[in-house]
Amino acid sequence: MTTQVREIPHKVNIATSGLLSWIMTVDHKRIGILYLFSAFIFFLVGGIEALLMRIQLAQPDNKFLSPDVYNQIFTMHGTTMIFLVVMPLAAGFGNYLVPLMIGARDMAFPKLNALSYWTYLFGGVFMYSSFAFGGAPNDGWFSYAPLTEKAFSPTHGMDFWVMGILMLGLATTIGSINFIVTIIQLRAPGMTLTKLPLFVWTTFVTSFLAVFSLPSLTTAVLLLLLDRQLGSHFYNTAEGGSALLWQHLFWFFGHPEVYILILPAMGIVSMVIPVFSSKPLFGYPAVVFSTIAIGFLGFTVWAHHMFATGMPTASLLFFSADSFLIGVPTGVKIFAWLGTMWKGKLRFMTPMLFSIGFVALFLIGGLDGIHLAVVPVDWQITDSYYVVAHIHYVLFGGAIFGIFSGIYYWFPKMTGRLLGESLGKWHFWLMFIGMNMVFMPMHVLGLEGMPRRIYTYGPGRGWEIWNFIETIGAAIIAISVFIFVVNFFLTMLRAPTHHESDPWDGFTLEWTTSSPPPNYNFAEIPTVRSRRPLWDKKHPELADWKEETA
Amino acid sequence: MNSMTSAHPMSKASTGKLALFITLGTESVFFVTLLVAYIALRDSVTWNVPHTWTRLTIPLLNTVVLLVSVLLAWLSGAAIRRDNKSALKSNLLTTILLGLFFVAGQIYEFSHAGLHINDSSFGGVFFTLMGFHALHVLAGVVFLGLNYVRASLGDFSAQQHEAVELGVLFWYYVAAVWLVLFVALYLV
Ligand code: HEM
Ligand SMILES: [Cu+2]
Repeated sequence: MTTQVREIPHKVNIATSGLLSWIMTVDHKRIGILYLFSAFIFFLVGGIEALLMRIQLAQPDNKFLSPDVYNQIFTMHGTTMIFLVVMPLAAGFGNYLVPLMIGARDMAFPKLNALSYWTYLFGGVFMYSSFAFGGAPNDGWFSYAPLTEKAFSPTHGMDFWVMGILMLGLATTIGSINFIVTIIQLRAPGMTLTKLPLFVWTTFVTSFLAVFSLPSLTTAVLLLLLDRQLGSHFYNTAEGGSALLWQHLFWFFGHPEVYILILPAMGIVSMVIPVFSSKPLFGYPAVVFSTIAIGFLGFTVWAHHMFATGMPTASLLFFSADSFLIGVPTGVKIFAWLGTMWKGKLRFMTPMLFSIGFVALFLIGGLDGIHLAVVPVDWQITDSYYVVAHIHYVLFGGAIFGIFSGIYYWFPKMTGRLLGESLGKWHFWLMFIGMNMVFMPMHVLGLEGMPRRIYTYGPGRGWEIWNFIETIGAAIIAISVFIFVVNFFLTMLRAPTHHESDPWDGFTLEWTTSSPPPNYNFAEIPTVRSRRPLWDKKHPELADWKEETA
Repeated sequence: MNSMTSAHPMSKASTGKLALFITLGTESVFFVTLLVAYIALRDSVTWNVPHTWTRLTIPLLNTVVLLVSVLLAWLSGAAIRRDNKSALKSNLLTTILLGLFFVAGQIYEFSHAGLHINDSSFGGVFFTLMGFHALHVLAGVVFLGLNYVRASLGDFSAQQHEAVELGVLFWYYVAAVWLVLFVALYLV
């Protein structure tokens, strides 16, 4: 690795320490940390909502939550986890890491970056304020119209949801444009697209997905707002509106959205597994290509969420086959991760454990998805707990495990401190066991016909035992999260000891800076010659570029 | 743009143009999905296009106004490329005035169309598509207006005028969307 000297620019800071320095910051690292921190708080809130639901469902005919409150809780749980937790956690990592990984000093538009964070935070708080104004939204995270029309959802909850979604969509759009421009424009010399770290690739593709799918959601919610507030009839079937319009607009966003949620986690795992296997990523071109393929295919499968709406047979066939097809690039990635670990010198430290957990659990979730893509099967189990099992294996087992892997892996980069390893292992194993206790039985419940989104159920259907096990599992997950929080505080109370070090023997540019990195990231802009610039620096005689360019 | 983030020599594209094109991409999906709503409701029982619709005067006039303004916007860009600052300013100003004329025409049309947003599925589609387009025209007027102010302050030169180019591109886009909406709502 050679370097190119450039003058260190003078960054204008209004304040350098204290609360004001965080509020006024336009530094990508600080904005990244703000995102991660806020999203983690929302994760705790969404987790408490999940626990409330599990308490209510622990026994048949339970009276812990009223039906009305239960509806609000599951709606806010889903909305929170998707829009206020997983998306902003990914944005947090993206902000912190993308400039460091591509050898840049900041994002392309630092002020817009701050704008997008504050818009996100305001949108989230705004949505939650609905609890104080007559009730939270209560029609599920996909808010099907006409059910969400004023006649059927008379409280202001839906209006809060719509306006919150508009703000969150705006925040993500601004952020995504910033990522795309940054990745195209600000790469260090030699950092060609074929050398881009995988996390940067997944952020790149995710940003395109967001930019081209979110407007469909914007249209959907704006039309709903007009129906509710000005009396238009887009979704009002009695007056010539359409009952399917919402579903098409929503899922045209909704399916790309699930990849927006999972691709960044896949990127994290693709960075962590090679380092802890002491090998480069197996099949880098195939992984990149499958990411791009998912990006395109993700726009073509939306109606697999609508099999039960009475679609023509030709459409059923198309969307079913197309959904099988999208399983292929996903499978390619699984093989790439396994191939990377194959014959590697494996180190089972906490980041690696979460990445391996990701691969195992995501695989189960993906296979569930394939089951649901079989039309006659879906007709039987759609809107049952089977779907709930699928979404949690991909989103909790997938996205959240991937993100925890990233938190353990980059924590020393952000703070100069390593999170405790033994508490980390407790966290991982309890979360892994709890996760399977909660969501594996949901497959059975779904096949036994338990519908999703019911606030209670009668005894004698064989559902009690599974529901009870699930509630115990939820408590175990809660304990694991508590252990993580304790680990965080214990670690932060210690003095930083890893300022200069590269604790995991990493491969990529972010580990060439001090921890945390200086304001300007790189005193000298590095020149990149391979996919593992730091490996090259540490092992000049074995440098990758000798092989890659040969 | 400051020195912190100046584009790397590896990339030849202009950062501002790149950001604008992606923004127009996301805007386009927005308008296309609005048109999906239009298509979805077209066959509904309450798709009552008003009887007076044969009166195309205002929409046609507005189309001409917008097309002339596009020509002037293009001239404003050409002017600054030749470093002609006074032509830049006068062309920007007329573009802005024509844009405002267009919006005034739309407001007149909205109140004389014999339609309301809540009286038929057509009314909803009409006001939504036209309303969001008019907001974009206003956004374009603000963009060009800022450029006019900067031009008056002497901010632009033959070498330094990216904002002018971006504003003009946005104006082209607004006019292109209008042509699609005009065909969809008045002609077919
Ligand atoms: C192997 C590829 C996948 C296939 C074939 C697939 C298929 C499906 C199908 C057919 C449904 C509709 C089930 C129903 O409502 O009856 C569904 C729902 C869902 N999927 Fe997937 N899926 C896949 C991967 C993923 C991934 C990677 C994620 C997210 C990270 C995801 C998240 C979801 C969510 C959130 C829902 C439920 C939406 C709702 O109704 O609330 N899926 N999937
Ligand atoms: Cu889907």
